Amino acid sequence: MLGSKKITINFIINDEKFNDITVPVRQHLGDFLRSIGLTGTHIGCEQGACGACTVELDGKAVRSCLILSSQINGSVIKTVEGLDDTLMKKVKEIFLKHNALQCGFCSSGMLITTKEILNKKKKLNREQIRTEISGNYCRCTGYQSIVDAIEEAIEDNIQGYLK
Amino acid sequence: MKSPDFCYYEALSIEDAIKFKSNDLEAVILAGGQSLIPALNMRLSSPSCLIDISKIKELKNITKDNNFIYIGSAVTHSEVMQNKFIIDHLPVLIDVLNMVAHPAIRNKGTHGGSIAYGDPAAELPAFVVAANAEIILMGLNGIRTIQASDFYHGLFETDIQDDEILTCIKYPILKNNQEILFDEIYRRHGDYAMAGVVANIEILNNKIDNLKLVFFATGTKPEVALKTSELIIKDGYDYSNVKNMIKNELDFESDLNSNAEMKLHLATILTNKVLKLMET
Amino acid sequence: MNDITLNQNSKLGSIDRPNSYIGRSLTRDGAIRHLEGGGKFVDDLILPRMVNSAFLRSPYAHAEIKSINISDAQKYPGVIDIFLSEHIDAVCKPWIGVLSHLGEMRSPEQSPLAKKIARWQGEAIAIVIANTRAQAEDAIEAIEVDWVEKEPQINMETALDKDTVVIHKELGNNLFWTRTVEQGDVKKAFKDSSTIVETTLDFARHTGVTLETRGIVADWDKSEKKMSIYHNGQAPHMMQHIIAKHFNISEGLVRVISKDVGGSFGIKVHVYGDEMATIAASKILGRPVKFVADRLESFTTDIHARCHKISGKLGVDKNGKFLSMEINDLSGIGPYSMYPRTSAIETNQVLNLSGSPYIIPNYKAVGTVVFQNKTPMCQYRAVGHPIAVAITEALVDKAAKKIGMKADDIRKINFIQDDQYPNKTPSGVPLEDLSHQATMNKLLKIMNVPDLEKQKKLDLEKGILTGIGIISMCEVTNPSPLFYGVGGAHISAQDGASIRLEGSGAVHVSSSITEQGQGTEAIMKQIAADQLGVSMDTIRLTLGDTDSTPYGGGTWASRGAGIGGEAVLKAARTLKNNILKIASAIMQTDIDTIDIVNNSVIRENGEEGISLKKLAETVYFRGHELPQGTNPELIATSSFYIEGIPFVFTNSAMGCHVVVDQDTGLVKINKFWVVEDCGTQINPKLVEEQIRGGVIQGIGGALYEECVYDDQGNMQNATMADYLVPMACEMPDIIVDHVITNSGRSILGAKGAGEAGTGGAPAVIMNAINDALSSINKEVTSQPITPEKILKAIGKI
Repeated sequence: MLGSKKITINFIINDEKFNDITVPVRQHLGDFLRSIGLTGTHIGCEQGACGACTVELDGKAVRSCLILSSQINGSVIKTVEGLDDTLMKKVKEIFLKHNALQCGFCSSGMLITTKEILNKKKKLNREQIRTEISGNYCRCTGYQSIVDAIEEAIEDNIQGYLK
Repeated sequence: MKSPDFCYYEALSIEDAIKFKSNDLEAVILAGGQSLIPALNMRLSSPSCLIDISKIKELKNITKDNNFIYIGSAVTHSEVMQNKFIIDHLPVLIDVLNMVAHPAIRNKGTHGGSIAYGDPAAELPAFVVAANAEIILMGLNGIRTIQASDFYHGLFETDIQDDEILTCIKYPILKNNQEILFDEIYRRHGDYAMAGVVANIEILNNKIDNLKLVFFATGTKPEVALKTSELIIKDGYDYSNVKNMIKNELDFESDLNSNAEMKLHLATILTNKVLKLMET
Repeated sequence: MNDITLNQNSKLGSIDRPNSYIGRSLTRDGAIRHLEGGGKFVDDLILPRMVNSAFLRSPYAHAEIKSINISDAQKYPGVIDIFLSEHIDAVCKPWIGVLSHLGEMRSPEQSPLAKKIARWQGEAIAIVIANTRAQAEDAIEAIEVDWVEKEPQINMETALDKDTVVIHKELGNNLFWTRTVEQGDVKKAFKDSSTIVETTLDFARHTGVTLETRGIVADWDKSEKKMSIYHNGQAPHMMQHIIAKHFNISEGLVRVISKDVGGSFGIKVHVYGDEMATIAASKILGRPVKFVADRLESFTTDIHARCHKISGKLGVDKNGKFLSMEINDLSGIGPYSMYPRTSAIETNQVLNLSGSPYIIPNYKAVGTVVFQNKTPMCQYRAVGHPIAVAITEALVDKAAKKIGMKADDIRKINFIQDDQYPNKTPSGVPLEDLSHQATMNKLLKIMNVPDLEKQKKLDLEKGILTGIGIISMCEVTNPSPLFYGVGGAHISAQDGASIRLEGSGAVHVSSSITEQGQGTEAIMKQIAADQLGVSMDTIRLTLGDTDSTPYGGGTWASRGAGIGGEAVLKAARTLKNNILKIASAIMQTDIDTIDIVNNSVIRENGEEGISLKKLAETVYFRGHELPQGTNPELIATSSFYIEGIPFVFTNSAMGCHVVVDQDTGLVKINKFWVVEDCGTQINPKLVEEQIRGGVIQGIGGALYEECVYDDQGNMQNATMADYLVPMACEMPDIIVDHVITNSGRSILGAKGAGEAGTGGAPAVIMNAINDALSSINKEVTSQPITPEKILKAIGKI
């Protein structure tokens, strides 16, 4: 009854089906995504502390550096490259408007986190927004412009919440 | 850093996991992975195999009967926080979990994982001890139950035996006159606390009838301050008295966040804060 | 949109033109790709036959390497080769981080890998090349090293003691560099002072923690004998020269490409041994080799900064006028001075900049820099400013309190007045075009200090300690050749820009300045489009490639807008003139009667004469239609450097309002204000965001960040969980306002704005906290100002 060092699995990333893919079990999801050319997800610490590697796994934001590629069998994954629905298109416009990014390295994680915030369909004040993004490190912006952007995105979606 | 090599095994059932674990003493359990995988990534750990229990259905339920709430060990923190039984009967647990790391970690980290890991600076180990919960384990010899207060032995040392898996945590439903209060002092939201307290309080005729103070982030495991609790029931809160009592009763240890003296002071302050919370 | 910023510089042309872009907060369309996952960072790059690397690093701060056995490790799966210092040294010459213009500076030679002695925990000993990084790390565990631990020297205060450990025996002691600056007669002036205040402050080592770690792909092409380097650095031309020099390759055959950088802040503008070892490995193997630091390596090998202990003394006359200032600064760097900028610059700036907003006729500053067995230290955002501003503004506040003057009043009477330029810092550095009075007045207005003071009294009655802090400061920007070049470093003070009109009517700009997220791309485009008369969407920009950009210095010391921007302005104007000359020939009309507006050459009456597209087509494809003797140059290159002064300074005034919790020692920053004067603002929103990001970074140093060492010189908090960088929850919103005093040194009039926030925040926060603690007669003097330090100061522990 031995475990395996390589495993063959199926999963979906950004609506693209991947079948019978063999992955080394020790490789984390962030590295795996980057190895297949989805380099929009960035690695910052491999400890789960900086948030740069955040992706959406089965509808939930997770740290891709703390998921083993062996654990994604049957899963549906979304990375920054796949955030092209109407909601996120608008969010990106709002981010750009507020200059809610400078170097862009934290942006993919920030956007996934923002998507989860908006999916909660709650009106949040600035302090609450700051709490929601408290796990995403940004060294460039000082966070204010990101809070501005998320505040506007929530406002923008408020009609959707009231439906 | 990249993790050292290891084998991966997805357990099909609790029995399956127990069998595998018993046969390979260098194997470890993978539930949420939010503490295990960082350790692997930093090469602080080289297990032979990871036994993935995160998808075992029996470990993913939250149930309730008249006297207890049962949280399966593989239920994620986020799932606990959104569960109706918890919202209705143990809402303080949601406040506690809001302090555990950040949303993305909580989406994967598990209730049982955190309790089994026993990080001295973590909230849940102190919570289970303060709540007088029971830890349910399953091994080759079947089911075993142990009081949370007997579960933690030392730094990352719990009562889990080589063939056992933590399957469920059993929380007594609070009495009408009972409350669990919680507070911690931290540098940044989601960080390990500099010091924290979970207090189990019962009130009778507007006075504290029963008090169990449990401190965390102060030593190698949750620290139960029985004598201090008794003193407060008897004499009420006084900074110097409480500080001295805690000092005499418990041995706080410095960590990177704060030294022992600071933790003692903060623990004293926290005690006052939760008592004030109770007054409101 | 702020009217003030739009009407800021008449030399640039009317703001009513359709193509008036300078002064407008346009969005950065070039940044969209980052929101789509389209950034191109070094680790994203894969080249044919590329391999990966990892380093065996010293676990000790000071240890002899008796022997290294790599035979087992060589056999590990995926390992291509393993190189030690002797292999690397065969292809890479060592370097010394000294400059000739700063007096006697001693640092030993440094090689990419440690030779016989490791001198800091984290120093690279061996490089393992393997197919994957994971495989390289597996092999590292099998390398056997026979270590002999030596006692480390990790206390800068004892580094010059007689019987302490000397890190480099050949140097005799641990002194790297010392300098004394003296103006006037401080001794006499202190005697004449009616009030003297003193303090000693200390600042902990901390580091940049860029989210993207350092990385490099070195690609030695055996067939072309050409070295291509993909590097997330700030100064590609500087690296080009250094790589050519140390690897014995002709400079023209070294190409350095620096595209997207995930934050740098000065961390990535230095030469690192592990990166040089990676380049050496590529040269030896003849294939691309990648190295990307992981977070643990980043903490222990990225340069650290700001480890200082500084004592200061300020003498004041009975009217509150400053007579004399004296400072004595001690700093502990690593075991080597960093190359090529040297680890003396931080201290040098402290000596140069202390007291800089004020007239202080007598000034003495002594700086001592000593070697330590800790991570090397060097330039990091706002180099030296946090210490210079903190010591100055702490002394000013103390003097004010002692003589019963208000904090702003004492500053106002001592400022170099706004109409008293050109002038000099107390240390003697030339200053011009500053506005301390205007910025302070504006700050006080937007802060509404009287209201804050009222609230402070009410809070105190409830036992809540609140504090108000204000500071003024000068920031070094736009350096001239007198900063580095004068001392022998191949760091260009001159930058260039090339602009061309293509056959399609599109405009291409290339600049020697680089982008790390501050918005270089956006502002260069704005300047080019504005001065040429074209719409923003016609412009394409190339940065960060030594093969295809003009030669220059890159981005550092907040020089991009002021120096690079001026080069773009000049090139755009030259191209415009060239186009108009051709147009006047084609249109048969006087050149003074035509202009370029919205991609067309138009007549005085507004009629289109010819579109730029058509003009370009004529020049490129139908040149026979041009009148004889027309000079059809649709490309222009210009350069710019600062002449005559060492730096162009900016100034700002900052304020903050804090609450100090007496029970927990936690500090909450309620509000933070900055009034910045950086001259012409090309994109005001980007300036504001630089200020904000800088302030938050400064708050990190003031309250949170510290590299903690044990008594054996091991860094104990080298993780993102233990090293505390500012995260969103604890940070304040920052109100930014402006004054505009253009630099007279350029047409653009832009100064730099990238570092002021980081330079001033630590000082103003300390002043605010001490204002709060002064209500109970306590103070703190050590950064980061942790809850523990506050509780100790208060006496709670």
